[in-house]
Amino acid sequence: MKAMHATNNQKKTHKPKWNKRKRNEALWGLLFVSPFIIGFIGFMFLPMVFSFIGSFTNYNITSRMDFIGFDNFRRMFTNDQLFLTSLYNTVFYVILNVPLTTAGGVFLAVLLNRNIRGITIFRTIFYLPAILSGVAVYVLWMQLLSPSSGLINTVLSWVGIAGPSWLFDPNWTKPALILMRLWSVGGAMLLYLATLQNVPNQLYESAEVDGAGPFRKLRHITLPLITPIIFYDVITSTIGAFQIFQEAYVMTENGTGGPANSLLFYNLHMWNKAFVAFDMGYAMAMSLVLFAIVIVLTFINLKLAPRWVHY
Amino acid sequence: MKSKRSNQLIKHSLLLGSTVLLLAACGNGDDNSSSESASDGNDGRTTLEFWSFWGSGARRETIEAIIEDYNASQDAVTVEHVYQPWGDIWTKSLAAIAGGNAPDVIVQDINSVKQRAEANQATNIQEYLDADDISGDFYPQLWDTVLYEDEAYALPFNTDTQVLFYNKTAFEEAGLDPETPPATWDELEEMARVLDQGSGDSWEQIGFYPRWNIGADVWALNADGGNAWFDNSGEVAINTPEKVEALEWMLEWQDYYGRDTINQYEAEFGSGVSDPFISGLVSMRGQNINYYTNLVENAPDDFEFGVAPLPEKEEGSGNWSWGGGFVLEVPANTDHPEESYDFMKYLSSTEVQEEFGMNSFDIMANAEANENLKEHPDLDEMGQMIYELADSNLEVTTITPVPLNAPDFSSLVNTEIDAAFLGQKTAQEALDDAQESVENLAQ
Repeated sequence: MKAMHATNNQKKTHKPKWNKRKRNEALWGLLFVSPFIIGFIGFMFLPMVFSFIGSFTNYNITSRMDFIGFDNFRRMFTNDQLFLTSLYNTVFYVILNVPLTTAGGVFLAVLLNRNIRGITIFRTIFYLPAILSGVAVYVLWMQLLSPSSGLINTVLSWVGIAGPSWLFDPNWTKPALILMRLWSVGGAMLLYLATLQNVPNQLYESAEVDGAGPFRKLRHITLPLITPIIFYDVITSTIGAFQIFQEAYVMTENGTGGPANSLLFYNLHMWNKAFVAFDMGYAMAMSLVLFAIVIVLTFINLKLAPRWVHY
Repeated sequence: MKSKRSNQLIKHSLLLGSTVLLLAACGNGDDNSSSESASDGNDGRTTLEFWSFWGSGARRETIEAIIEDYNASQDAVTVEHVYQPWGDIWTKSLAAIAGGNAPDVIVQDINSVKQRAEANQATNIQEYLDADDISGDFYPQLWDTVLYEDEAYALPFNTDTQVLFYNKTAFEEAGLDPETPPATWDELEEMARVLDQGSGDSWEQIGFYPRWNIGADVWALNADGGNAWFDNSGEVAINTPEKVEALEWMLEWQDYYGRDTINQYEAEFGSGVSDPFISGLVSMRGQNINYYTNLVENAPDDFEFGVAPLPEKEEGSGNWSWGGGFVLEVPANTDHPEESYDFMKYLSSTEVQEEFGMNSFDIMANAEANENLKEHPDLDEMGQMIYELADSNLEVTTITPVPLNAPDFSSLVNTEIDAAFLGQKTAQEALDDAQESVENLAQ
């Protein structure tokens, strides 16, 4: 009773005025973010809820949507061998692609973080592939990767290596895609470069005084100080790598998944289920499983972060 | 005080505005009477939206001329042609159907009509056919594709069939009779060996390789009396002895030229820089008969080629071939199905089909149109011959509509076939495994 009195009193004395102003501000704030909120609710949140509900149905977009419980999930693991193939392909790609592109980005950034003449030109050159995107790049790479006349195998043959058939050999299709991704590592490089330039110079100077060589400086100063960005990059590129779709869709005939289904990635299989078989409920269930996988991985990443990320 | 009020006014109107926007965005087109969808125009004509993927060249010009004629021929309907890119048209139409603002008529894939009928994406047009049955105008196997539970959901528009193209000059140079193309698989192999020039990794001329431009499924079907992976009665028939033999036969070809050679050339063809048939590297190739247009446009004038049915496995087994094609369909829940059907019927009529075929060299679904094109005065001898061959080839052409119980089965079969070509499985093992996994899927 006493407490209530107090609050009532407060309201009566100074809070109302402050409250009104604050409410007004909040309203204005909400008003200005409303395009995003509305967009988020309309185009992200509601579709996500719908997709979640749809995972438990036999939804086919146009005529049916009956609740079928966990049947879609059961089919995934018992009746659909391509589901496991696609999951394997995707995980294979993620496991190779994420560390390689991260390491590649850091490596390039360290190389390009030097004060030599014309460094901006090098930076531009290495960044260029990152601004090219989409189908044009894939078609370009299909030519580069051509087994006999492609540039890559031609160069390999100069040093006496008989290059593989790349996109025609199921053992080499995924490495070929990873190679292609490495080529456009410039985006991550730029991120690291910006961070590297923030590493205080006096740390290096004092390390030099203590007799540290370039490798030790890299290992004990540079890398620890950019771990937050590495962490960010690992998380986002893991999520991105799980979503691989376009490359496989464009570089295999009609999105069929390439030789021996070696490029049938998770999202490609999902797309085929949704738009070829009209099995949208199943595709939604697949997306839910992928969502769960990514969430769990991200969670593990977050838990492991304190062991190696230095803030 | 005044500013506060106006502040509030702005705020409220902004909120109201954004709410309206949201509602508008969320509305799923329930009110079909909105001006955007087809409706009565100013002049009292109904406007029909017609989607096709014929965006350039002869097909676009022809279809637009045909539509213009149609619009001029009557005063109830105006058809508007909307071009949608090949890669987008069907996903876009699916979204449009789900959203309730589908076009009135659309060019669709012939193999998935039943699938769309089952999923209620297409309008049943049986009532118009009951009134005026035009089903006999089309090749029977094409008509079969548009029936779902014995009722029609589309009209066939065009089709194709796979045949053998061969380089007459190469035949002559190798001492073969340019007027006698191979009739059986054995002859094909003998002639290819005669035409071959080179060995190991380097070839100046490759007689024939069965899997270039034709799928393994087509040779399997050719061997098995026209029965595809799902046979003519709808049963899974993948590991039949004939199909296993066909796969073994294809594997022999791969062994002969070597997998690396095949991969290398395939990658080069894929880049589309030069056509290996026109350049003379490949002397015979199986291909859709429509490839003729390509040759007319791109081959040098002195390039002499012949066209023949696909060779049969052995004498009497039949020159079975495979074809696809497109249909005209009224998407579900559109406002003017009757007018749409009338337009579709016009597009399927003999004269219009003839005109379209004449200009595009497509093989038309209307049998009479193809027959007329065989003797069409505006076509040269070769062009007439193409239609003659197409017309007779359609008697042994199987169309393979997507089976409703396993619409995406083909990736399962392809995996196994790839495994065979990679040497991981024998032909028998690969097709046995494919049989099992497709049966499993089709359950």
